[in-house]
Amino acid sequence: MSERFRHAFVLTLVTVLVLVALLAVVGLPGVVKAPKTRLGLDLKGGTELIFKAHTLSGGPVSSSQLADTVNIMRSRGNTLGVSGIDIRPYGSDEITVSLPDVQNPVKAEQVVGVTGLLLFYDWEASVIAPSGQIAGPNDPAATCDGQSSVPAGAPSCAMTEYAAVVLASKRPAAHYPTMSSNAPSFYYVDDKKKAVYAPNGPEPTKAFLDADIALKHLKLPAGARLVEIKPGTVLVQATSAPEVPVPNAFYVLKDDVRLTGKDISNPQTTTDPINGVVVTFGFKNNGASVFQAITATLAHRGQNNSPPGATPNVQHFAVTLDGQLVTVPSIDFTQYPTGINASNGSEISGGFTFTTANQLSNVMASGALPVKLEELSAELLSATLGHQSLNQGLVAGLVGLALVVLFLLVFYRVLGAIAVTALAVYSLYFYALIKLIPVTLTLPGIAGLILTIGVAADANVVIFERVKEESRAGRSPLNAITAGYRRGFSAIVDANVVTFMAAFILFILSQSDVQGFALTLGMGVLVSLFTAVAATRAMLGTMGRTRAIRAPSALGVSKRRRSWSFDFMGSSRWFFTLSGTILLIGAVAIGARGVNFGIDFVSGTQVQATFQRPASVASVTSAINSLHLKSQGTSIGQPVVQQTSSTNKHAKRTYSYQIATKTLSVESIGAAGSRTNTLRGLLNARFGVLEWNQNSVGASFGKTVADSAAVAIIASLLAIFVYIALRFQWKYAVPVMIALMHDLLITAGVYALTGRQVTASTVAALLTILGYSMYDTIIVFDRVRENVQKMQNAAFSQIVNRSMSEVLTRSLATSLCTLLPILALLFFGGSTLKDFAFALLVGVASGAYSSIFIASPVLTHWKEREPVYRRRHARIASEHGGVVPAYATAGAAAREVVPADTRRRGRRLTQPTRPDGIVAASEFRQMVEELHTEPPRARPAPEPEPGPPSDPAADARPEDVVMPDERPQRPRGGAKSRPRRRGRRR
Amino acid sequence: MGMLAWVIMGLALWHFAIWLPDRFYGGIVGAFLASIVGGIVTGVLISAAAKGTAIPGRHATDLAVVLYAVPGALAGMALIYLYGAARERAEQRS
Repeated sequence: MSERFRHAFVLTLVTVLVLVALLAVVGLPGVVKAPKTRLGLDLKGGTELIFKAHTLSGGPVSSSQLADTVNIMRSRGNTLGVSGIDIRPYGSDEITVSLPDVQNPVKAEQVVGVTGLLLFYDWEASVIAPSGQIAGPNDPAATCDGQSSVPAGAPSCAMTEYAAVVLASKRPAAHYPTMSSNAPSFYYVDDKKKAVYAPNGPEPTKAFLDADIALKHLKLPAGARLVEIKPGTVLVQATSAPEVPVPNAFYVLKDDVRLTGKDISNPQTTTDPINGVVVTFGFKNNGASVFQAITATLAHRGQNNSPPGATPNVQHFAVTLDGQLVTVPSIDFTQYPTGINASNGSEISGGFTFTTANQLSNVMASGALPVKLEELSAELLSATLGHQSLNQGLVAGLVGLALVVLFLLVFYRVLGAIAVTALAVYSLYFYALIKLIPVTLTLPGIAGLILTIGVAADANVVIFERVKEESRAGRSPLNAITAGYRRGFSAIVDANVVTFMAAFILFILSQSDVQGFALTLGMGVLVSLFTAVAATRAMLGTMGRTRAIRAPSALGVSKRRRSWSFDFMGSSRWFFTLSGTILLIGAVAIGARGVNFGIDFVSGTQVQATFQRPASVASVTSAINSLHLKSQGTSIGQPVVQQTSSTNKHAKRTYSYQIATKTLSVESIGAAGSRTNTLRGLLNARFGVLEWNQNSVGASFGKTVADSAAVAIIASLLAIFVYIALRFQWKYAVPVMIALMHDLLITAGVYALTGRQVTASTVAALLTILGYSMYDTIIVFDRVRENVQKMQNAAFSQIVNRSMSEVLTRSLATSLCTLLPILALLFFGGSTLKDFAFALLVGVASGAYSSIFIASPVLTHWKEREPVYRRRHARIASEHGGVVPAYATAGAAAREVVPADTRRRGRRLTQPTRPDGIVAASEFRQMVEELHTEPPRARPAPEPEPGPPSDPAADARPEDVVMPDERPQRPRGGAKSRPRRRGRRR
Repeated sequence: MGMLAWVIMGLALWHFAIWLPDRFYGGIVGAFLASIVGGIVTGVLISAAAKGTAIPGRHATDLAVVLYAVPGALAGMALIYLYGAARERAEQRS
């Protein structure tokens, strides 16, 4: 495939992919609908719950139990009409539940059946007939109680939801010893359409109901009115089997609960010789006596309402779960005239199959699930703050992109314009992938996305700096581009592989939020390799002979070469001292101040609240103390209240606070409209809550996060070590590890010193630092590896100094390219993104510094102990009066060897590429190599000054200096070479 | 947290080893390992003796705990240096 054809192919591919990406992003009106961008809870608001599963027997949770649990929870969420619910197993025994649009954690638990509680009602004494009166034992039309073949509680006797809501709303408030809820229930109803509007079910306040409707983008009809069902009356939905609700079939019940699931123990499915498959269960507390009393009441009532000779009018009790009828079994008064003695438990029979009996026993055992769920974390995220974060993230992304574009255009001119085009293509591809996969975009994900802008630009910077070098060496722009891409490619591949490895390990081992970041980072690395390397190469290759890049200045090459003559290795002692001092300060800060771990690691409840009315730290603290809240039975002690900054477009001035306490239950925290005996209810009453974000993390979850972070870091380090050892030498891998430790520990020290909070996002940032710090070090080491082959008479320190001076501009440019979007995140991102950006800023700056001033000096010190470099060092020192010059500019050390290029050559040179016909020295050499059979394997460059004869073998044996990954030289030409064919074969 | 503090202290002290002639056994990398391992060893030993716990947690890590690593890191590097210098002398004699 000719080069021109290859470029055309790549450009066609890029264009086709751009069209596909455009279709995915904007769609084609009337033909293709663009998929919606899936936003995470932190960007659109909602509730996220994380649970740990325990078996009822106490044994380990099997994968099938976990899968069954997830399926049941999903079906519950779907049947309750909650859209966008996302329930996933995590690890071996955890489940994450994301409920967008649900702003009430208590409700969220109910939705997925975690807190599903069985309630037992006296059926006939509780059903409200359409007349508004208690149905009683003689109204079979209202209760379906066995006067026909229809079983009690059947859907056919139920009312529509509208009729049930209207009927229930007419009843006065009432209070009974045990009730399903003390709060009212609010609905909107449309009397004309006879429809009910409560997208997430009834809510305890109008505000909650309005929020549900707003989040679902529902428009209420003009005639819709708010109705309130007062405490004491409850709606239950008819079911065709346990957990299979029948739509629009409801009963209205008096909320007089006789027994709850808390009084039931050990429900099991067994077979009975008389009744077939039955569900047996025992009782706890005083459940047995209560159960006997209920059944006695039912038996007496049945007996009293059954005239002699008539069909027995058996009475029933109803079992409900979260507003749904589970079963309505009867009490046979002829068999149990004084009720059922339940001291040995009881059973429910009635035409069960094993499946339905198992369903019922599961429901009775754990509410609804085959396992018990322990809540590890409950996070409530405000939709308003989510939108605000999304906007801030987008602004930060745009600013970051603009800064990188500006930088590229100023420094690389035409090349920069090509890179900017590639960045635009990259952004389009990436956005299309996010929509097509689809990737749930979270705040850390946006941070990853913004960071990949820098990484994508870095790849171009590495190549462009190389192109500039080749151009300065005398190559024509076209040849400089070809050589620049060829020689810069290995460094880019190495650097990107390492970043991708860090992202992959992070994705496998981390928690959900961090996973979003890892996914976008990994995808970004892959896409950027295509756009920043393949696409730009094809663009430049196609433009190569145009006027646009005919002059070296178009490549950003100035007439005066910027060269660094700094003695990097000689000064390394001072930089080591600087690093040592910073680390000492960091160690002291860790001892004196400690590290401020967020609740992700240490457990607890953290609330971000914005108030409408004036508040102070003291008044908020005092309000919380007045509640005497408890955490797992003990006092929460003194809450930590801090004032924070926040904006709210609806209020001129707001008062924002962060409240941290020991882990509180969701009931203690409360929800919007809660009573003043809850945290939110009280603070709302005192200060007026405008915004509310809450996150509760249990102790075991914090440990899981910390453990997974440690495992991810260690795994990343090992993988990086192995990769570097394979691609370079194991001696190159050790300084890299030391430099990485340096970067991570300096970041830890800075966090201790500044007191900034370490969160799960910080861990993601640390792992990114691992990948990115490597990026820079690999760029430097790649050049060292190249110069080791060229400078076969120089001391290692001279080789490294030379390499440094050659790549410092490149290293600074790549660091700047990455720092620009990070700075944009720091200044324009929301609080979460700022935390993330701070860790990245410290880490990336430290990474750029350590690759030059830590990793390279360590490599130098270590390599100089090798015999070959000791001998060279001694020889050069003897030549220069006992001192080894910083740079190999004189004597034998200065003589360079042009290593034979073992890679496949690019375009064959047949004519001068410069318009004036002048042939550059490098081009001339290439022509000679191509025209003649065997160029000398290594030719010394012209001697800079007279000196002793060069003898490259004086210090070295070949195995001392040849890198392991260098391919063996295949002899070209000579006796054994294949005869060259000229012309076509006939 | 104690372990983190000791590793940082070991790493910090190692940086100053660059001022010494490179006679460490294993070179600068040998000094690095000696400093880190030495810091951890004395950290654990002193902490076990003084606090009754080998690795102090987040709340138990104070300034004194951080300093537990200093003697170990210095002694580790000193040992490696002396051993390396002795080997060098032996090689020169042979």
